[in-house]
Amino acid sequence: MATLTVTQNFGKGAKDLSVYKSLGGYSSIGSRLFDLSQFELIDLVTSSGLRGRGGAGFPTGMKWSFVPRNSGKPVYLVVNADEGEPGTFKDHFLMLEDPHRLIEGMIVCGWALGVRTAYIYVRGEFLPAIEALNAALKQAYDAGLLGENIAGSGYSLDIYVHRGAGAYICGEETALINSLEGFKGQPRLKPPFPAVSGAWASPTCVNNVETLMALPWILENGPAAYQALGTPKSGGTKVFSVSGDVKRPGVYEIPLGTPLMELLESPDLCQGVIGTLKGVIPGGSSSPVLTAEEAKKANMDYEALASLKTMLGSGAVVAFNETRGAVGMLASLTRFYAHESCGQCTPCREGTGYADRILKTVVAGKGRDGDLEHMLDIADNISYTTICPLAIADAWPIQNFIGKFRSEFDAEVAKNPGHAQARVSSDFRPGAFW
Amino acid sequence: MSNSYHWPVLPGKDTKKVVINVDGVDAEVPEGTNLVEALKTIGIETPHFCYHQDLPVAGNCRQCMVETDGPRGMGLAIACYTPVRPGMKVATDRSSEKVVQARKAVMEFQLANHPLDCPICDKAGECSLQDNYMSAGRQPSRMREDIGKQYKGAPDLRHEDSKGQERGGKHVDLGDTVVLDQERCILCDRCVRFMRDVAGSEQLYIASRGDHAFISTFPGEKLAHDYDLCVTDVCPVGALTGKHFRFQQRVWMLGKTETIDPTDSFGANITVEHHDGHAWRIMPRRNPDVNKSWIANSSRLAYKALSENRLASGMFGRAEVPLHQAVSRLGELVRGARKVALVASGHLTLEDNVAVAALAHALGTKAEVFGGSWLPVGQPDGIARTGDPVPNRKGLRLLGIPSNLDDLPGRAGEFDVLVVVGNDLWGADASKAKALERIPERIALTPWLDATAKAATLAVGVRSWAEARGTMVNAAGRIQVLQAAPILPSPDLEPVWQVLSAAGGLGWTSELDAFRFAQARVPALAGLTYRTIGPMGRPLEGVSA
Repeated sequence: MATLTVTQNFGKGAKDLSVYKSLGGYSSIGSRLFDLSQFELIDLVTSSGLRGRGGAGFPTGMKWSFVPRNSGKPVYLVVNADEGEPGTFKDHFLMLEDPHRLIEGMIVCGWALGVRTAYIYVRGEFLPAIEALNAALKQAYDAGLLGENIAGSGYSLDIYVHRGAGAYICGEETALINSLEGFKGQPRLKPPFPAVSGAWASPTCVNNVETLMALPWILENGPAAYQALGTPKSGGTKVFSVSGDVKRPGVYEIPLGTPLMELLESPDLCQGVIGTLKGVIPGGSSSPVLTAEEAKKANMDYEALASLKTMLGSGAVVAFNETRGAVGMLASLTRFYAHESCGQCTPCREGTGYADRILKTVVAGKGRDGDLEHMLDIADNISYTTICPLAIADAWPIQNFIGKFRSEFDAEVAKNPGHAQARVSSDFRPGAFW
Repeated sequence: MSNSYHWPVLPGKDTKKVVINVDGVDAEVPEGTNLVEALKTIGIETPHFCYHQDLPVAGNCRQCMVETDGPRGMGLAIACYTPVRPGMKVATDRSSEKVVQARKAVMEFQLANHPLDCPICDKAGECSLQDNYMSAGRQPSRMREDIGKQYKGAPDLRHEDSKGQERGGKHVDLGDTVVLDQERCILCDRCVRFMRDVAGSEQLYIASRGDHAFISTFPGEKLAHDYDLCVTDVCPVGALTGKHFRFQQRVWMLGKTETIDPTDSFGANITVEHHDGHAWRIMPRRNPDVNKSWIANSSRLAYKALSENRLASGMFGRAEVPLHQAVSRLGELVRGARKVALVASGHLTLEDNVAVAALAHALGTKAEVFGGSWLPVGQPDGIARTGDPVPNRKGLRLLGIPSNLDDLPGRAGEFDVLVVVGNDLWGADASKAKALERIPERIALTPWLDATAKAATLAVGVRSWAEARGTMVNAAGRIQVLQAAPILPSPDLEPVWQVLSAAGGLGWTSELDAFRFAQARVPALAGLTYRTIGPMGRPLEGVSA
């Protein structure tokens, strides 16, 4: 059994404080943490190689080091638990099974950054997880592990749970902060970045649930041990949410760098693919899809997936077999992104919707030659021209599904007997007016 | 929408200049300003929708793309949110194919769900979509007709048009002044920012999300603010239109006359827009030192009075007489009078008031000049009104005309002729004015058939503020020029100074004569001409706010 750093308490009833403590929980909240200076702690996290587990994979220690210390404003810690990426469900289970580990991780992060008030922004639909969190918070407060003067250290931290109202975009950190403040959940212009001016225009650190939950283990076992679990560049372990056509879908923690096929086929893990593997979405719905051949070469770490022009993302692995049509899958994804575009900036607002309507027309048997090219062009035009990466999250599936399963899309268009008909009327002659 | 406000940094007179490289050529631009403004200073226009000089930057339309150099090489960035750094490299659409393509793409997206109903749209002719299409789009449509457009608008307004297309959100009544056409909206959120950050009253917001988002008031509430018509100015498309101007005129027919708001001593800069001898609307004229881009609804609607209840002739009591008769009668009366009270007016220009002073001078000791107003003075609103309805009060003080109107009723018995010039005393305070009816000959020079004209024994119609050239000094001590719009209700009407010049034999042939007369008396005006005052006005030396 591989070393587990985050999910070791799954199935052990660690929701309860006494169980969590009996499993070694909160052992870092004492001299192990409070003897470290803020700088030592940040250095420790940096040397562990821990990277943000929410999707972007930004080095956590570096993120913390950007938070200014003497701004004269409070520093906020906001936990991003707005897990909305289709295919991702790890944070939900992490909070449900082991909420105290998150609280412990937050205390560690809070000490590192001098945080007095922290928020957990939870996706509103996760009601059981929210209840588990609130119960755990109450236990922690009662045990003196939160609030004033934590464990006699002189350090104080308050944690509040904030329910989101249901928007994918609120997983983007500035949209999340807006939503937390009570504004419409729309990303902000950057700079300033949240580290400098985030919640209530104060320095704010936004971290994913899983990132923070890795901290207690790192503190207990040392950064070198954590780093040694993964590859030299991607240290540690990662929790994957595996779904789709596998025999045993679920949440699995494996060291970074594990081959994708091992995750899918190991008897300890997913126990194999149902049917013949056709492709895998390796890191959540926005990550570029891998064909079966590519999947066989893929190792699950940041660098290996980047070399295959995809990404680790949130670790949502969706495997699908030959019975699944690429057109239908892409149609689900474009519908999702068109629905979840916040509508703030033009390319994403109009582009995601228009691409979706083209694909819907194709699926309805009314596709015409040139429709796919138009979709690809829209995907190009919405990439890197918007405030936040939601548009790219729509563009990548469009480009990769059409690019890698082109014959299926062409066949879908050809179902329309009049597919060769001109897409737009030829009345318009550019230059006719002037 | 958030707590982060990014007001644009605009170039000022003292902004330090730095060298940047634009399209391969070094150019000096003001440091720290955003690239839209910086490029404007060297003659490069950047198409944009959401950016507005007097609103916080939202950066949501993505039309103003340029390429700038960053740590990863040249990359697309929005010009409105990229500050000028010394030595930076910028590529515009003149040198970068990537920028051309990005702007074309955004233009295509903007138009994807726009109804393209320009032939019936009031904004046509001054629409950013049209302008930016010509500069940044100009491409054939790739949109399939049978895919149609996304419905934009409130769900309860949805209906099908004759082609089976989902339509709705048309002519949504937002309040007393503004109508919203939700499907024309490109969601730049300028109106939301105006109401929130300038008007200081959040009454508009963007409901829903994605391409079905729409502008709305809060449920059950109306758009109601003294400045709410400004949202129709900032709207880059025809989504927000003012009820006063809907379907009245095509904007390209309108001639524009640059002048000054006559309803308040703030001296907001405005444009009177006219066609065929009628004023059709008043628009704010941007002056960063005065009213920025804003005017109050009351200033904007002041054009209506220009064609209502005008006195286009003379009146002997109730009898209408030709103007020339009324003017010569005026001359006879003042020359033959034993003692004349002349009431100057802060509603009129310096030229008109200096004519009052010159007439008093010509009449000698038997004439006395009174100045002031009986209109109530309100509070400043912090945007474009001081609350003082007398626009040229400071100008009167400058000319040395005393503010002693309140003395006049008590001394009414001393005079046998009263000349009230452009000052509706009976309309402002009828009870105080009542005492003036003891004066046997009451003469009113007024553009309107107002209460004073009715109380007068002789009323002479004159040109209004919009029809004669002149200058006013606003509450901040800034002299500004009013220009004459070609909208005379009657060709016989003359400016006040000309009527008084004829009555007193002053021999003035142009407002310049009046202005020169004023310059001889007032040192602060020395050396000025209408040209040096310019369309933006200038602060007068030694005149405090």
